[in-house]
Amino acid sequence: MKLPALARDTLVVSLAYLLAIFATFEVVIPVQDIFFPVFASHASLLFLPSGVRVLSAWLLGWRSVVALAPGVFLAFFYVAGIRALEPSRIFAILIAITVPAATFHAFQLLRWNIAPQPDQRPCWPCVMGAGIVISILSSVLTNYALGSPSNDYLAYFIGDFFGLLFLMMGLMFAFRAMRRRGL
Amino acid sequence: MSDISKLTELRKLMLDMERSVGLQDLSSAERDIYYAATELSEAHGGVTTTYLLKHMLVADVSRPTFFRALKSLVGKGYLAPSENSGRGQYTVKTPK
Repeated sequence: MKLPALARDTLVVSLAYLLAIFATFEVVIPVQDIFFPVFASHASLLFLPSGVRVLSAWLLGWRSVVALAPGVFLAFFYVAGIRALEPSRIFAILIAITVPAATFHAFQLLRWNIAPQPDQRPCWPCVMGAGIVISILSSVLTNYALGSPSNDYLAYFIGDFFGLLFLMMGLMFAFRAMRRRGL
Repeated sequence: MSDISKLTELRKLMLDMERSVGLQDLSSAERDIYYAATELSEAHGGVTTTYLLKHMLVADVSRPTFFRALKSLVGKGYLAPSENSGRGQYTVKTPK
Protein backbone atom coordinates (compact mmCIF):
# COMPACT_ATOMS: atom_id res chain seq x y z
CA MET A 1 0.00 0.00 0.00
CA LYS A 2 1.37 3.39 -0.98
CA LEU A 3 1.24 6.16 1.61
CA PRO A 4 0.01 9.60 0.53
CA ALA A 5 2.85 12.08 -0.08
CA LEU A 6 2.11 14.19 3.01
CA ALA A 7 2.05 11.09 5.25
CA ARG A 8 5.41 9.97 3.80
CA ASP A 9 6.89 13.44 4.28
CA THR A 10 5.58 13.53 7.86
CA LEU A 11 7.07 10.12 8.62
CA VAL A 12 10.48 10.97 7.15
CA VAL A 13 10.74 14.50 8.59
CA SER A 14 9.47 13.58 12.07
CA LEU A 15 11.77 10.55 12.24
CA ALA A 16 14.70 12.72 11.15
CA TYR A 17 13.74 15.28 13.82
CA LEU A 18 13.58 12.61 16.54
CA LEU A 19 16.92 11.12 15.44
CA ALA A 20 18.47 14.60 15.60
CA ILE A 21 16.96 15.11 19.08
CA PHE A 22 18.40 11.81 20.34
CA ALA A 23 21.82 12.63 18.85
CA THR A 24 21.73 16.08 20.49
CA PHE A 25 20.57 15.00 23.94
CA GLU A 26 22.40 11.66 24.15
CA VAL A 27 25.70 12.60 22.46
CA VAL A 28 26.20 16.34 21.93
CA ILE A 29 25.05 17.65 25.33
CA PRO A 30 27.01 15.06 27.39
CA VAL A 31 30.14 15.92 25.35
CA GLN A 32 29.40 19.65 25.75
CA ASP A 33 29.11 19.17 29.53
CA ILE A 34 32.58 17.57 29.58
CA PHE A 35 34.26 20.33 27.55
CA PHE A 36 32.25 23.33 28.82
CA PRO A 37 31.39 22.40 32.42
CA VAL A 38 31.07 26.05 33.45
CA PHE A 39 28.63 26.92 30.64
CA ALA A 40 25.64 28.21 32.60
CA SER A 41 22.88 27.45 30.08
CA HIS A 42 21.47 23.93 29.65
CA ALA A 43 20.88 24.68 25.93
CA SER A 44 22.83 22.68 23.34
CA LEU A 45 25.45 24.66 21.41
CA LEU A 46 24.95 22.23 18.50
CA PHE A 47 21.21 21.75 18.15
CA LEU A 48 20.88 19.43 15.12
CA PRO A 49 17.03 19.44 15.02
CA SER A 50 17.22 23.09 13.97
CA GLY A 51 18.80 21.91 10.71
CA VAL A 52 15.95 19.45 10.16
CA ARG A 53 13.44 22.27 10.68
CA VAL A 54 15.16 24.63 8.22
CA LEU A 55 15.79 22.03 5.49
CA SER A 56 12.29 20.57 5.71
CA ALA A 57 10.76 24.07 5.46
CA TRP A 58 13.04 24.84 2.50
CA LEU A 59 12.00 21.63 0.74
CA LEU A 60 8.31 21.41 1.69
CA GLY A 61 7.23 24.99 2.39
CA TRP A 62 4.05 25.16 4.52
CA ARG A 63 3.69 21.36 4.31
CA SER A 64 6.64 21.20 6.71
CA VAL A 65 4.33 22.47 9.49
CA VAL A 66 2.37 19.20 9.29
CA ALA A 67 5.47 17.10 8.62
CA LEU A 68 7.32 18.49 11.66
CA ALA A 69 4.40 18.52 14.12
CA PRO A 70 4.54 14.89 15.41
CA GLY A 71 8.34 14.92 15.67
CA VAL A 72 8.49 18.25 17.51
CA PHE A 73 5.69 17.28 19.90
CA LEU A 74 7.32 13.92 20.72
CA ALA A 75 10.68 15.69 21.17
CA PHE A 76 9.15 18.09 23.69
CA PHE A 77 7.51 15.11 25.42
CA TYR A 78 10.88 13.30 25.50
CA VAL A 79 12.59 16.31 27.08
CA ALA A 80 9.87 17.73 29.36
CA GLY A 81 7.54 14.78 29.93
CA ILE A 82 3.93 15.69 30.71
CA ARG A 83 5.00 19.35 31.12
CA ALA A 84 5.12 19.43 27.30
CA LEU A 85 1.38 20.13 27.56
CA GLU A 86 1.91 23.38 29.52
CA PRO A 87 0.72 26.45 27.58
CA SER A 88 4.25 27.94 27.34
CA ARG A 89 5.60 24.71 25.82
CA ILE A 90 2.63 24.33 23.45
CA PHE A 91 3.46 27.87 22.31
CA ALA A 92 7.14 26.87 21.90
CA ILE A 93 6.05 23.83 19.82
CA LEU A 94 3.98 26.09 17.57
CA ILE A 95 6.97 28.42 17.16
CA ALA A 96 9.26 25.50 16.29
CA ILE A 97 6.99 24.16 13.56
CA THR A 98 5.71 27.41 12.02
CA VAL A 99 8.62 29.89 12.11
CA PRO A 100 10.78 28.14 9.45
CA ALA A 101 7.98 27.86 6.86
CA ALA A 102 6.73 31.38 7.69
CA THR A 103 10.24 32.79 7.23
CA PHE A 104 10.69 31.20 3.78
CA HIS A 105 7.20 32.43 2.85
CA ALA A 106 8.07 35.96 4.05
CA PHE A 107 11.21 35.91 1.90
CA GLN A 108 9.07 34.87 -1.06
CA LEU A 109 6.74 37.83 -0.43
CA LEU A 110 9.82 40.07 -0.37
CA ARG A 111 10.71 38.66 -3.82
CA TRP A 112 13.61 36.58 -2.53
CA ASN A 113 12.52 33.12 -3.55
CA ILE A 114 15.10 30.56 -2.50
CA ALA A 115 12.69 27.62 -2.50
CA PRO A 116 14.08 24.69 -4.51
CA GLN A 117 12.93 24.37 -8.08
CA PRO A 118 13.94 22.07 -10.90
CA ASP A 119 15.96 23.91 -13.53
CA GLN A 120 17.35 26.30 -10.93
CA ARG A 121 20.75 26.46 -9.28
CA PRO A 122 20.61 25.89 -5.54
CA CYS A 123 22.18 28.42 -3.19
CA TRP A 124 23.41 26.95 0.08
CA PRO A 125 24.59 30.30 1.53
CA CYS A 126 21.02 31.58 0.95
CA VAL A 127 19.63 28.61 2.92
CA MET A 128 22.19 29.31 5.67
CA GLY A 129 21.15 32.99 5.62
CA ALA A 130 17.51 31.99 6.00
CA GLY A 131 18.62 29.62 8.76
CA ILE A 132 20.22 32.53 10.65
CA VAL A 133 16.99 34.55 10.46
CA ILE A 134 14.98 31.49 11.56
CA SER A 135 17.43 30.93 14.45
CA ILE A 136 17.09 34.52 15.66
CA LEU A 137 13.28 34.51 15.44
CA SER A 138 12.97 31.05 17.04
CA SER A 139 15.41 31.92 19.83
CA VAL A 140 13.69 35.19 20.74
CA LEU A 141 10.14 33.82 20.54
CA THR A 142 10.87 30.46 22.24
CA ASN A 143 12.80 31.96 25.13
CA TYR A 144 10.16 34.66 25.56
CA ALA A 145 7.47 31.94 25.66
CA LEU A 146 9.43 29.82 28.15
CA GLY A 147 10.55 32.82 30.24
CA SER A 148 14.20 31.74 29.96
CA PRO A 149 17.18 33.70 31.37
CA SER A 150 18.87 36.14 28.97
CA ASN A 151 21.96 33.97 28.28
CA ASP A 152 19.67 31.27 26.82
CA TYR A 153 18.74 33.62 23.96
CA LEU A 154 22.32 33.63 22.67
CA ALA A 155 22.86 29.93 23.44
CA TYR A 156 19.74 28.97 21.45
CA PHE A 157 20.86 31.09 18.50
CA ILE A 158 24.37 29.59 18.51
CA GLY A 159 22.97 26.07 18.88
CA ASP A 160 20.48 26.51 16.03
CA PHE A 161 23.05 28.05 13.68
CA PHE A 162 25.74 25.41 14.28
CA GLY A 163 23.07 22.69 14.25
CA LEU A 164 22.09 23.68 10.72
CA LEU A 165 25.70 24.04 9.57
CA PHE A 166 26.77 20.65 10.96
CA LEU A 167 23.68 18.88 9.63
CA MET A 168 24.31 20.31 6.16
CA MET A 169 27.97 19.31 6.30
CA GLY A 170 26.94 15.84 7.48
CA LEU A 171 24.48 15.51 4.61
CA MET A 172 27.11 16.78 2.16
CA PHE A 173 29.56 14.05 3.19
CA ALA A 174 26.78 11.44 3.34
CA PHE A 175 25.62 12.21 -0.23
CA ARG A 176 29.25 12.30 -1.39
CA ALA A 177 29.86 8.86 0.14
CA MET A 178 26.63 7.54 -1.40
CA ARG A 179 27.65 8.78 -4.86
CA ARG A 180 31.07 7.16 -4.51
CA ARG A 181 29.32 3.87 -3.80
CA GLY A 182 27.13 4.37 -6.86
CA LEU A 183 23.93 4.93 -4.82
CA MET B 1 7.31 18.19 -5.99
CA SER B 2 7.79 14.40 -6.12
CA ASP B 3 9.86 12.41 -3.61
CA ILE B 4 12.61 11.97 -6.22
CA SER B 5 12.77 15.65 -7.02
CA LYS B 6 12.91 16.56 -3.30
CA LEU B 7 15.90 14.26 -2.91
CA THR B 8 17.41 15.68 -6.10
CA GLU B 9 17.02 19.24 -4.80
CA LEU B 10 18.67 18.27 -1.52
CA ARG B 11 21.52 16.60 -3.43
CA LYS B 12 21.90 19.68 -5.64
CA LEU B 13 22.14 21.87 -2.54
CA MET B 14 24.84 19.63 -1.09
CA LEU B 15 26.71 19.59 -4.42
CA ASP B 16 26.67 23.39 -4.33
CA MET B 17 28.14 23.25 -0.83
CA GLU B 18 30.77 20.71 -1.92
CA ARG B 19 31.85 23.02 -4.72
CA SER B 20 32.04 26.04 -2.37
CA VAL B 21 34.22 24.23 0.15
CA GLY B 22 36.53 23.10 -2.64
CA LEU B 23 35.67 19.40 -2.72
CA GLN B 24 34.55 19.70 -6.35
CA ASP B 25 36.87 20.92 -9.08
CA LEU B 26 34.25 22.00 -11.62
CA SER B 27 33.91 25.15 -13.70
CA SER B 28 30.51 26.89 -13.66
CA ALA B 29 29.56 25.35 -17.02
CA GLU B 30 30.65 21.90 -15.84
CA ARG B 31 28.72 22.37 -12.59
CA ASP B 32 25.51 23.37 -14.41
CA ILE B 33 25.78 20.45 -16.84
CA TYR B 34 26.43 18.09 -13.92
CA TYR B 35 23.37 19.47 -12.01
CA ALA B 36 21.25 19.05 -15.14
CA ALA B 37 22.62 15.54 -15.69
CA THR B 38 21.89 14.61 -12.06
CA GLU B 39 18.30 15.86 -12.39
CA LEU B 40 17.73 14.13 -15.72
CA SER B 41 19.36 10.93 -14.53
CA GLU B 42 17.12 10.71 -11.44
CA ALA B 43 14.01 11.66 -13.41
CA HIS B 44 14.55 9.51 -16.52
CA GLY B 45 17.19 7.00 -15.48
CA GLY B 46 19.69 8.24 -18.06
CA VAL B 47 21.15 11.33 -19.71
CA THR B 48 21.30 12.22 -23.38
CA THR B 49 23.10 15.13 -24.99
CA THR B 50 19.81 16.24 -26.57
CA TYR B 51 18.00 16.47 -23.22
CA LEU B 52 21.00 18.13 -21.59
CA LEU B 53 21.06 20.82 -24.27
CA LYS B 54 17.35 21.52 -23.65
CA HIS B 55 17.77 21.82 -19.88
CA MET B 56 17.19 25.30 -18.39
CA LEU B 57 20.47 25.25 -16.46
CA VAL B 58 22.37 24.69 -19.70
CA ALA B 59 20.43 27.22 -21.77
CA ASP B 60 23.04 29.96 -21.31
CA VAL B 61 26.00 27.73 -22.14
CA SER B 62 27.27 28.09 -25.71
CA ARG B 63 27.56 24.93 -27.82
CA PRO B 64 31.37 24.86 -27.95
CA THR B 65 31.58 25.40 -24.16
CA PHE B 66 28.90 22.74 -23.62
CA PHE B 67 30.80 20.08 -25.57
CA ARG B 68 34.14 21.08 -24.02
CA ALA B 69 32.60 20.88 -20.53
CA LEU B 70 30.91 17.56 -21.38
CA LYS B 71 34.24 16.12 -22.50
CA SER B 72 35.91 17.47 -19.38
CA LEU B 73 33.22 15.92 -17.15
CA VAL B 74 33.82 12.56 -18.81
CA GLY B 75 37.58 13.04 -18.40
CA LYS B 76 37.19 13.89 -14.70
CA GLY B 77 34.94 10.89 -14.17
CA TYR B 78 31.69 12.74 -13.37
CA LEU B 79 29.96 11.34 -16.45
CA ALA B 80 30.59 8.12 -18.35
CA PRO B 81 29.45 7.27 -21.88
CA SER B 82 26.69 4.70 -21.60
CA GLU B 83 27.90 1.24 -22.62
CA ASN B 84 24.50 -0.20 -23.44
CA SER B 85 22.94 2.76 -25.24
CA GLY B 86 23.99 4.60 -28.32
CA ARG B 87 26.19 7.64 -28.87
CA GLY B 88 25.31 10.77 -26.88
CA GLN B 89 24.08 8.83 -23.84
CA TYR B 90 25.74 9.15 -20.44
CA THR B 91 25.49 7.86 -16.91
CA VAL B 92 26.19 10.06 -13.89
CA LYS B 93 29.20 8.98 -11.86
CA THR B 94 31.32 10.30 -9.05
CA PRO B 95 35.06 10.58 -9.50
CA LYS B 96 37.11 8.48 -7.06
